[in-house]
Amino acid sequence: MESKFTEAYQKTSEEGHESDCDKTAHLLDLIIDGEASAEEQSFFTTHIEDCAPCFESHQKQKLLKNLVSGHLKRVIVPESLALSIKARIQETA
Amino acid sequence: MSEQTGKQMSKEEKDARFEAELLPVLDPLYNFAYRLTLDEDDANDLVQETYLKAYRFFDYFEQGTNAKAWLFRILKNSFINEFRKKSKQPAKVDYSEVEGYYNSDDVEGEGGVATTTDLRTESVQDLIGDEVASALNALPVDFRTVIILCDLEGFTYEEMAKILDIPIGTVRSRLHRARNSLKEKLENYAKSMGYNNS
Repeated sequence: MESKFTEAYQKTSEEGHESDCDKTAHLLDLIIDGEASAEEQSFFTTHIEDCAPCFESHQKQKLLKNLVSGHLKRVIVPESLALSIKARIQETA
Repeated sequence: MSEQTGKQMSKEEKDARFEAELLPVLDPLYNFAYRLTLDEDDANDLVQETYLKAYRFFDYFEQGTNAKAWLFRILKNSFINEFRKKSKQPAKVDYSEVEGYYNSDDVEGEGGVATTTDLRTESVQDLIGDEVASALNALPVDFRTVIILCDLEGFTYEEMAKILDIPIGTVRSRLHRARNSLKEKLENYAKSMGYNNS
């Protein structure tokens, strides 16, 4: 079922069969974006409890997401914009 | 051709419904437009055009469905059709322009950020925010787009697939590559600031 994604996620070991660390790396984005299934979630959590490098990459990926969601400033909508949209809509038949 | 439920809406009813359902999305929509065009006037035009198109097709919009995703999709398509060819290089941004933007007085008025926060903390926050913005602005527009949709606006992969008209697998791989580039740019910055923990 992961087949349609795997090619974009490179690195499978020679036998064409993923190590737990590879599998964890492929799940990283799904996990931080809240898109993982319960099964994937529990595999991931169990693995990072014992694997320091994967734990570390999880921390880094979360940090990256938080940098964007928490630090990127929102621009302020010019006050005139809503008014001109309303005005143009009212002119529309 | 729309599904008219019973009687035709009057223009007043339609306008009122339109404003109630779609105008609340103005803020995220304008922010998205700004992040795509990197220009306030272009963002303004793009948002107006998006609302006018939405108004024209409002009969096709099903009340109570995802207005935000619908408008984002219209805006993204308008951007591709018009703005992209106009501004040949949306991926490159003049750093001084971004700086100037963030130094402008308007920004300081932003919703209550100032009052109680410790100044030192606040300036550090600003610095990080500026750095994230310039790293993000330096990404190709497709990468920038998925990061904004996902991390800033909190769309699901499925919603992103609809907004961008691409399969979920592509959303996923594009997001992954976008994050790698962003990480690279921010790591360079971190190194230049003396953080070398990778």
